[in-house]
Amino acid sequence: MEISLLTLLIVLPLIGAIVTLFMGGERQKYAKYVAAAFSAITLVIALLVMFNDDMASLATSFTWIQTADITISFSLMVDGLSILMVFLTALLSLLVVIFSAEEEDRPNYFHTLVLAMEVGLMGVYLAADYFLFYVMWELTLIPMYFMISWYGGPRRHYAAIKFFIYTHVASLVMLIGIFAMAFEVGSVLGHVDFSFATINTMMPQMADSFQVLVFALLFFGFAVKMPAVPFHTWLPDAHTEAPTGGSVLLAGVMLKMGSYGIIRVCVEALPAGLDYWQWVIIAIAILSIIYGAYGCIAQSDLKKMVAFSSISHMGMVMLGIGCGTEAGIMFAIFQMFAHGLITGILFMVCGMTGHKVGTREIPLLGGLAGKMPIYATFMMIGFMASLGLPGLIGFWGEFPLIFAFYDFIQANDMLWMILFCLLSLMLTAGYYLWAMQRTLFGPETTKIDLTHAHDVSKTEGIALAVLVVLVAFFGVWPDAALSFIEPYTSSLILGVI
Amino acid sequence: MDMTPIFGDLTAIAPMIILIIAALILPAVHLLAKKRTVTWAVALVFVIVSLAINVLMLTDNYVGTALDLVQYNAYSGLMILLFQIVLFLAVLVSNASVETTRLHVGAYYSLLMGATLGMMFVAESSDLLTIFVGVELTSISSYAMVSMKRNDPRAAESAVKYVVIGGMSTALTIYGISMLYGLTGSTDIATIAAQTQLEGINLMFGIALVSMVAGYGFKIAAVPFHMWAPDVYEGASTPVSLFLATGSKKMGLSVFFQIFLVMFVAGSSCAAIAGEEVQYLFAIIAAFTMTVGNVVAIAQNNIKRMLAYSSIAQAGYILIVMAVMNEYALSAGLFHMFTHVFMKGGAFLIVGALICAGIGEKISDYRGLAKKAPFLAFAMMLFLFSLAGIPPLAGFTSKFFLFSSAIGSVDGVTSQWVWLAFVAILNSAISLYYYARVVKAMYVDKGDNTEKIKIPKPFLAGIVICVVAVIVLGVYPQLVFDFCETAAAALL
Repeated sequence: MEISLLTLLIVLPLIGAIVTLFMGGERQKYAKYVAAAFSAITLVIALLVMFNDDMASLATSFTWIQTADITISFSLMVDGLSILMVFLTALLSLLVVIFSAEEEDRPNYFHTLVLAMEVGLMGVYLAADYFLFYVMWELTLIPMYFMISWYGGPRRHYAAIKFFIYTHVASLVMLIGIFAMAFEVGSVLGHVDFSFATINTMMPQMADSFQVLVFALLFFGFAVKMPAVPFHTWLPDAHTEAPTGGSVLLAGVMLKMGSYGIIRVCVEALPAGLDYWQWVIIAIAILSIIYGAYGCIAQSDLKKMVAFSSISHMGMVMLGIGCGTEAGIMFAIFQMFAHGLITGILFMVCGMTGHKVGTREIPLLGGLAGKMPIYATFMMIGFMASLGLPGLIGFWGEFPLIFAFYDFIQANDMLWMILFCLLSLMLTAGYYLWAMQRTLFGPETTKIDLTHAHDVSKTEGIALAVLVVLVAFFGVWPDAALSFIEPYTSSLILGVI
Repeated sequence: MDMTPIFGDLTAIAPMIILIIAALILPAVHLLAKKRTVTWAVALVFVIVSLAINVLMLTDNYVGTALDLVQYNAYSGLMILLFQIVLFLAVLVSNASVETTRLHVGAYYSLLMGATLGMMFVAESSDLLTIFVGVELTSISSYAMVSMKRNDPRAAESAVKYVVIGGMSTALTIYGISMLYGLTGSTDIATIAAQTQLEGINLMFGIALVSMVAGYGFKIAAVPFHMWAPDVYEGASTPVSLFLATGSKKMGLSVFFQIFLVMFVAGSSCAAIAGEEVQYLFAIIAAFTMTVGNVVAIAQNNIKRMLAYSSIAQAGYILIVMAVMNEYALSAGLFHMFTHVFMKGGAFLIVGALICAGIGEKISDYRGLAKKAPFLAFAMMLFLFSLAGIPPLAGFTSKFFLFSSAIGSVDGVTSQWVWLAFVAILNSAISLYYYARVVKAMYVDKGDNTEKIKIPKPFLAGIVICVVAVIVLGVYPQLVFDFCETAAAALL
């Protein structure tokens, strides 16, 4: 039997998760090598898929459940929208394994959870069937729940259960939307088929009012995951309490599930809904951007600040989607990728602050640059990339998005709305620079004992360096990523608008 | 395989015959052998034989009647299979459970068989009276089983509650049946349906209907007839709780399907007159049942009570079938009943096994279980997550079909019951909270010690069966769902 590359992307981490699960006792110190091996092979396969000439030919499908009225298939596919996310998932999983090499509390279970999460995330990005998509979507919750409640901070139980229930409710609402789409399409075809291909091609032809309704259900499910204000309250808690590795995966790839879902389902299948809710989406996006940025200023916990900045940056993604133009969606996807790489750096750095200095409270920190120069450099690069310094990847995520938004509001004679973007740029630059100043520079803090603070360790340095290189690489040559996205968005726009 | 050469005219009741023999000889076996393990082994062999015969008949698509009284078809075959699985699990662990080994085991097994016989009889009936008799056989055997745990005052209390409330529900039911008989001159469900169409629906029919719904509502512990269930499940010994929560309740639901679904869907004669109102009646009962079950479960500290409320909630989910009233919903409901047997049965098995190992019934007693018994904790987590509907476990797949049936079917989206699907889904989310509380106690909280605990082998076997079923039915639902579809088609 021939096993396709895409199936391997899901199966390999799964095997890795099972193997590490049983590496208890004496063997648990080797779990990290096993995990690293499995995630490295997965990354290699992800790269093979990425540089395959004909991605569409990799799609694979076989029937899973076949009843009198319903067909559910196990089908996987990859295209310009998902390939960067697949790459990001594989990359960040490997880097988390490398970064967490010094984890001493039950390391085998930690790696099981990382790999199990990779299975779910890969599944979400590769699925080409709504049933499979939903299964994988929910599958990511359980490892994350345990990751937070086993390895998290002091309020971990509260954060874990809040995360679990909040996002579970949202995905159940999404499930209702999926049912509605499947049955409505089924009534036309006389047979209910849950595959993306069937539903996403048939749905745009359905009645506008129906699309509008279903769009709302699905959008709610995705927006909570992203998370968009006012559904964001689970995120700061989850991030504050999650271990560093968990935060990196949570912000780096799990939040992208939300925006991925919006593009894959809401935009592809429900163009009339997008049309109807466009201004609501833009309003939510602007609210997220501004509120997230203001939230950052108010935080005294470094990691919570970065969590709020994620809300703000994911708001940018939603803004691009809300524009509904080719440029908007293209750079929204690029911003997803960019934000994944950047938050990887940011959360690793924040996690190190808590781990090495003993606290993440900004008022207690100060002058760390002298004591921990390498740490300070990484933090500076991360912050600069995130605030959109030209030459780093963040610039190509943000600037074209604002440009696309400008185009959009100009066409609608609402040019004053660009003020929101300017405000957000100001705020973003403000909170990052202010945080950096208070943390890294100035006189060395006397409020805490810095004698035990030590600089970046070797494995942590490797993980961070890889991300920094990529951030710079795509910052100088964004086309390397855009060339994947462009064919997808141009065909999407042709089909939809 | 064809069973006719062996059983002749009685093939339709072949699985029952085996159990009748077992019920009759088991007390004698115990008297002669004087060893409880021998009695147990004999009982188990009979159960397995009966199970095997039924599986062969079911896969052979056997259809036939016996004694001009009962009919075996795909539907009754499937329900019988379900009851037999429950019986098998209950008998399997009874010899190992500290709660049941001190009973009069001969009588105990005999009562278990009797109760199951009642259920099987119900599944093969299409007449109000035979259904009534079957239900009574099950109920009376169950009263005796609950009260058998004699030294425990909780058992006595629960037995009294069970008998009094059971008696009342029986009275209500027979009252309703007699009124229907007065109206239509028949107790055959199809005849009643046809007759009602001719004469229209009047107040008396309404009263009859309501008293029957109430009477059988007690059996499935639908809100507001649910108060007895937590007390009984808590007071009874765990194998009996398992039997009642997974088996006896399914019989009640099967009765609902066989009487009301057939009346209002199959002939579709009544459906034209009163279908809508009846559907709303059931929708409201379903919504209340699942909501009350889930909300009250949050407050429980005793795990058996929590599981009892959760099975009230699960009955609420299955009642969605009665609101939607179509074939797709019925097959989804049947499938959910099947998965529920394994996930709820598995959870009860673990509770029982831990009682044998000296661990209490409080959720706080489960702290640090992951360290003491890694496999049990893992299995419990699977069962609870499956009950909450987390993929890729069986509970998710069956809920997927069940809830989707409230949204629509192959004919498109029917907006009528979307609110019910919303209620069900919100409930699913609520339920996650109290299931996660147990998972947290087992995995996150620190226990008082980390001494490994040992549980009896039969319990382990039962739990393994349930774990395998919960995973396999989740990943490959086709295995049973095909049968559910045939069964639904056979009933409607």
